[in-house]
Amino acid sequence: MARFLTPRILGRALPVVACGVLFLVPMLTDDRYLFKVLTFVGLNVIVIAGLALLFGFAGQISLGHAAFVGIGAYTCGYLTAARGVPWIVAVIAGTVLAGVGGFLLAIPSLRLKGHYLAMATLGFNEIMSVLFVELRPVTGGNDGLRGIPFASIGAWKIDTPAGNYLLVWGVAVVVLLLTANIIRTRPGRAMRALHGSELGALASGVDTGRLKTEVFALSAGIAGLAGALYASSVGFISPSTFSLEFSVLLIAMVVIGGAGSLAGPVAACALLTLLPYADALIPGLSKELIALIQDWEADISGFVMILVLLFAPGGLAALGRRLGGTSARGAGGVQ
Amino acid sequence: MSLLSVRGISKRFGGLTAVDDVSFEVFEGTIKALIGPNGAGKSTLFNLLTGFERPDAGSVSFGGTALGGKRPHEVVRVGLARTFQNTQLFEEMTGAENVLVGMHPTMRTGFMAGALRLPSTRAEERDARERVGHLLRLVGADQYADTPAADVPHGVRRLLEIARALATSPRLLLLDEPAAGLNNAETRTLATCLRRIRDDGITILVVEHDMGLVMDVSEEIVVLDRGRKIAEGPPLLIQKDAAVIEAYLGEEAVYA
Ligand SMILES: Nc1ncnc2c1ncn2[C@@H]1O[C@H](COP(=O)(O)OP(=O)(O)OP(=O)(O)O)[C@@H](O)[C@H]1O
Ligand SMILES: [Mg+2]
Repeated sequence: MARFLTPRILGRALPVVACGVLFLVPMLTDDRYLFKVLTFVGLNVIVIAGLALLFGFAGQISLGHAAFVGIGAYTCGYLTAARGVPWIVAVIAGTVLAGVGGFLLAIPSLRLKGHYLAMATLGFNEIMSVLFVELRPVTGGNDGLRGIPFASIGAWKIDTPAGNYLLVWGVAVVVLLLTANIIRTRPGRAMRALHGSELGALASGVDTGRLKTEVFALSAGIAGLAGALYASSVGFISPSTFSLEFSVLLIAMVVIGGAGSLAGPVAACALLTLLPYADALIPGLSKELIALIQDWEADISGFVMILVLLFAPGGLAALGRRLGGTSARGAGGVQ
Repeated sequence: MSLLSVRGISKRFGGLTAVDDVSFEVFEGTIKALIGPNGAGKSTLFNLLTGFERPDAGSVSFGGTALGGKRPHEVVRVGLARTFQNTQLFEEMTGAENVLVGMHPTMRTGFMAGALRLPSTRAEERDARERVGHLLRLVGADQYADTPAADVPHGVRRLLEIARALATSPRLLLLDEPAAGLNNAETRTLATCLRRIRDDGITILVVEHDMGLVMDVSEEIVVLDRGRKIAEGPPLLIQKDAAVIEAYLGEEAVYA
């Protein structure tokens, strides 16, 4: 019996089981807080799918992804709350606008690598943070944007925590599936090639400049999609959410999860997103410990990231492979 | 017929003229060798031909069209593929995946089709993997199809690069020291492999220090020394060429 549980079969079965459990949750509980927390995980998972493509697979760092989430959130929030635009149109607009933002940021950044690309995208996040405050008529400034309606498609309103949870995770699963498919076909191989050796990729006929802009735009668009869903999930958004600190947390998730993996970063994303809500999930934790974790959340993730970089460069993905007994670093990369 | 023609090409790095007014032709269906002492400008010339460096003067035409100004990935699409003196493999990817990347220019699947795994995408993947298997067998690296490039033995890494270059369906293959790091038996296998590639209709220009291999496979040789072309002709004549002997003796004197 046990010999059928090969890593390969496990690798295929685990995501299916995880999905099953996710979609069963609403039948088992109606705890609003739990739905809220798990919805946040789903939203971050969407962002991480895009950032894993860009950073984990294509090797292009972005410390500006929180800003793309912000662009999606403010676009969707403003259009639905202030302009009465249909939800689905606003979500598409937020996604596209963030994607265009990523494209525009990628063009001048094409010549930049490593630290310089990190600095440029970091600068972009800071500029956007200022704009989110200063574009008061659209963003509501420091007070934020209130009264963003729930998701709705035509007359059908998705206005319960459970419904919204299912919506967000439905999108997350679709995004993960599409991302996994990209990874194992031609564009994904080109991305991994670019990461491995840009000279080698060029010599193989890959237009690396174009590829970088495409992946940047796609990754930013996915972040914008998550932002748009976030806006209609919580109904209120403010600039501090989309700060550099969030961008760093997102990068930490990909590093801790492991470059060149999708499952690893998704797992790291779930762990790090749940960290400040540990009280909701693990009963009996002391109030002091929770407060400590919440105060030091960013520092904890940063510290773990550095530990991973120093001592376990493959992150969770490599750990999982070692436990599964396979050493095939190149095997599809999706695991 | 001349497939590649290089006319008066030059490249300076600061005060150093790495390639100095070099002209030669490569005829379709032949194997031509490019030799010369260390630092003669062979790799620089390859970089000029493949768009990795811009010439300061001169022109290159390939199959009758000018290559001037083309970027590396565009040069590949025209039919010029290369390998590197310092192998540029994708270390985290398997041997087969490395060669699959070489199929990039001839495949079509974009982000959209890939994300949806359309039937056309699956069919294309299947065909590509089949061709990759064939190429790996051709260069004799098929047992490393599923090994990450980082774990592949040194000699085989060069074979993988040749297979990857072949995957782009080139008309002209530029090889930069393919025999470096190979033992005698591996070098003989490489020679057979190069002839087989040539017999498949692919023209080869090879930079090589292994004179045994050069004399064995090439129909013609160009010799560079300090950036300048000092001789060109069939192997038997080059072996006896006074200027060539002096260039190489000079090199040995430096090492002595
Ligand atoms: N990017 C560069 N910048 C400055 N100098 C360079 C550059 N590339 C090459 N050179 C110099 O140009 C000269 C020719 O180098 P090249 O690598 O073309 O020689 P080579 O014939 O390939 O030598 P080898 O047999 O050692 O590979 C050398 O003196 C080298 O130092
Ligand atoms: Mg060289």
